[in-house]
Amino acid sequence: MNKPERGIQFWRGLTAGAEQLQQYKELLEVYDSRIGSFLEIDPVKGAALIQDRRGSGPLAGVPFGVKDNIAVKNFQLSCGSKILENFISPYTATAVQKLLAAGSIPVGKLNLDEFGMGSSTENSAFHPTANPWDHAYVPGGSSGGSAAAVAAGLVPFALGSDTGGSVRQPAAFCGTYGLKPTYGAVSRFGLTAYASSLECVGILADSVHTTREVFRTIMGADPLDQTSTAAPEGQADTAKSSPCTIGVLKQPEGLDAATEAVYLASIERMKDLGWTIVPIDLSTLEYVVPVYYTIATAEASANLARYTGIRYGVREQGTANHEEMVRLTREHGFGNEVKLRILLGTYVLRSGFQDQYYVRAQKIRTLILREITELFTRVDMMLMPVFPVSGFRLGSKQMTPFQQKMADKFTATANLAGIPSLSFPAGKAGQLPVGMQLMAPVFHEERLFNAAEVLSGGRPIELAPGSLVLPDGYDAKAVR
Amino acid sequence: MAPFQTFIGLEIHIHLLTKTKVFCSCRSAFGDPPNTNVCPVCLGYPGVLPAVNREALKMAYMVGTALNCDLSMHTVFERKNYFYPDMPKNYQISQFSDPVGRGGWFEFETGGKIKRISFHDIHLEEDAGKMIHDGSRTLLDYNRAGTSLLEIVTNPDFSSGEEAEDFLQAFRRLVRYLGVCDGNMEEGSLRCDANISINRQGKGLGTKVEIKNLNSSRFVRKAMAYEYRRQAKTLKLGGAIVQETRLWNEEKQKTQNMRTKEAAHDYRYFPEPDLPPFCPDEGFLMGVAEAVPELPFFRKQRFGRQYGLTAELADFIADEKFRADFFEVCVDEGADPAETAKWLKGEVAKQLARREADLEGSFLSSFRMAELMKLLGSGRIHANIGRQVLELVLDEDMDPVRLIEREEFAGSDDREALGPVVDQVLSNNREAVLQVRDGSQKALGFLMGQVLKTAGQQADPKLVRRILLDACHEESPARKD
Repeated sequence: MNKPERGIQFWRGLTAGAEQLQQYKELLEVYDSRIGSFLEIDPVKGAALIQDRRGSGPLAGVPFGVKDNIAVKNFQLSCGSKILENFISPYTATAVQKLLAAGSIPVGKLNLDEFGMGSSTENSAFHPTANPWDHAYVPGGSSGGSAAAVAAGLVPFALGSDTGGSVRQPAAFCGTYGLKPTYGAVSRFGLTAYASSLECVGILADSVHTTREVFRTIMGADPLDQTSTAAPEGQADTAKSSPCTIGVLKQPEGLDAATEAVYLASIERMKDLGWTIVPIDLSTLEYVVPVYYTIATAEASANLARYTGIRYGVREQGTANHEEMVRLTREHGFGNEVKLRILLGTYVLRSGFQDQYYVRAQKIRTLILREITELFTRVDMMLMPVFPVSGFRLGSKQMTPFQQKMADKFTATANLAGIPSLSFPAGKAGQLPVGMQLMAPVFHEERLFNAAEVLSGGRPIELAPGSLVLPDGYDAKAVR
Repeated sequence: MAPFQTFIGLEIHIHLLTKTKVFCSCRSAFGDPPNTNVCPVCLGYPGVLPAVNREALKMAYMVGTALNCDLSMHTVFERKNYFYPDMPKNYQISQFSDPVGRGGWFEFETGGKIKRISFHDIHLEEDAGKMIHDGSRTLLDYNRAGTSLLEIVTNPDFSSGEEAEDFLQAFRRLVRYLGVCDGNMEEGSLRCDANISINRQGKGLGTKVEIKNLNSSRFVRKAMAYEYRRQAKTLKLGGAIVQETRLWNEEKQKTQNMRTKEAAHDYRYFPEPDLPPFCPDEGFLMGVAEAVPELPFFRKQRFGRQYGLTAELADFIADEKFRADFFEVCVDEGADPAETAKWLKGEVAKQLARREADLEGSFLSSFRMAELMKLLGSGRIHANIGRQVLELVLDEDMDPVRLIEREEFAGSDDREALGPVVDQVLSNNREAVLQVRDGSQKALGFLMGQVLKTAGQQADPKLVRRILLDACHEESPARKD
């Protein structure tokens, strides 16, 4: 197979000039027509946002994709929802702005579950996305488009968002790296809110190296996001490198055979590297899903209240008054999963019920955080499965929406505790990749990168079959 | 004693004079063309986040300090959820469990006494936009959306509309003093709703009725009086008060039902996850303490004590912070306090009103005022000249001393210069002289007028009066005959 070298020169070549950008656009359109990872493709428009494409930084001239719930000026910002089908963003998210400043070029917007709610990208109002490894399978979600585009070699990295696992789970399904940073390490300004206290802008990438470069570029306190924080001074220097102490679940319950096998194999691999394995109990794990869904839906019920068609987005026509206009706009604009979560969130916040649900969930969240914090006094990192099953078929028959929610427990732990977590390709289940995740204390992303670097031997990911290749006769001379 | 006891509580909203809105960097201004002071943040676009304005927090803590509240060391913003087209996010960022300030008290004068009322809490929040009904269309202007509002909630401590009115005036003076609000009720930068309940003496709070649309402190008084009569009549007839919200109709001079029973709103308050709690540090609190000036109530009392001003003069001088500061600079510069206060309330106010100007924007600086007062005090010029100098200062932006030199104001204020004129007038008006000798003020006035007409404006009326009196009484009765 004609496997292109995916070094920085390859990507810079694709964005070298107007002609190349146009060719790249056509390539993306052709390749993406097989998997449907993009909702909008326009490298030319993306390049127009850049001041200096010929910068010398490691990301200069490197293209990237953006999940369609993150704002990029002049690009659509549909959030995978009919209600924002026609919405063009008038501004750019801080994380994207930082990439633009580094000379990186946004080439389009990527598919997702509506407003980030789902684990399969089937909740997109527009079309599903296929897993590039097997088109009958879902790419995971909600950042399924981002994971699929990276796995298919369409872009070296993409931005996603992770509220309960939405970066790591599709990364695991598609065989890419997926970073959910420390809460607040990356500005959320420009990330369409689903659950404000849980979500982060995350990175899906084709190598640890790229993940690290992107993270270092987009991190930092932002005056536009007062929940963002600068990493404490000297954190990167104290990052612990191999060998290290890894906490592993004594009894990882509910895993399918393939996932369990990869989990155990990962532990063996770490032992082989001379790392210390410490079996742990995570007593709060069984509370993660109910707590996560209580808090996430409560916040979502308020966050999604702004979509009424009054100031932007799709508006119901011919209604008698503003109440009816808002009601029908929302009735026709939102999908069922979104409506379900708005209703759940409204329910748990009702007066008289708040103590029983929302307040209680917050208390349990504190206990989870306490247990995790205590754990990190004994181990450097924690190894966890990403998802209990190695993948499922498009069409949602294999896993009900309820089962998909219950399956979030391994990933949502990191969101509730605000800690960073990196999903990495760890094995296969037949055709399909299987990912595992490492979690570290807050602001110890470097520790995760170092460990993943060792585990991967410095190699980038294996791209899915049929990934993007340059056509015969591609003008290599124009590629600088 | 009235058969019923009245309990009135106020909910006051003030627009803080922040340069920008409370959660974004849009200009906080009124009267601009619709939807010109807006951005993705205050329009609630997808993906935007609020960033709290430090200036608004400082002003909120200043008000909390002035109202003797327990200031929160960990204040939390919360989302108040309800749908309305003028509210971009369909939740209002407000405060609930941990507001900026709790408790607190305030003293003010009412009915010749000092009354102390207490507060429930004060909290910072954002305002909504405006819905404008235009025929069959409804238009929306979001310029006001996201501007800083501070809500001050009193306990039901007022026992009459008069008290509430007096409080509002004192409160208005306070916020203007603090420089946090212009206090304009007509334009809505200070808004007030009132709760009133009445009950038989000693029975405690009755059923609460909320009154809205109170666009002036006068309306508050009138609406409360009306409500007392309305509710008392109902109770006397054995009826029950319905819990409701009513609107004051100024035209009809009565309150009218707006909605019976609070439409069971469940605001589902919960902490705003986009904003961390604000924990003021020492630097912030010191900045707040330094920014809170001596408050008008205390300043007025001090002016009476320290400078011997009458209550009326002290009240006038202390009313506006600029005026009070101006006055004290004059005194520091050596001007006589009582005279300065009199001039400020009298001639200066009159001349400013004539020019439709205010003290702050005029050419009369406190140093010029002090110079003028010292010229008067030393007898170098008399009041009439002083008035002319004042006018020239206001019109020509010049120092009093230079004006006196230029205009050659001087000389005519001594007895010698006036002597011949007085003699002439006296000999021409013998009848009046006799009447003056019998104590007629009218005749004295007439004679003064005659002298001043001849001597011209430079003559000091006080001196003329003294000379005339002396002259009338000196003349021997024999000579008259």
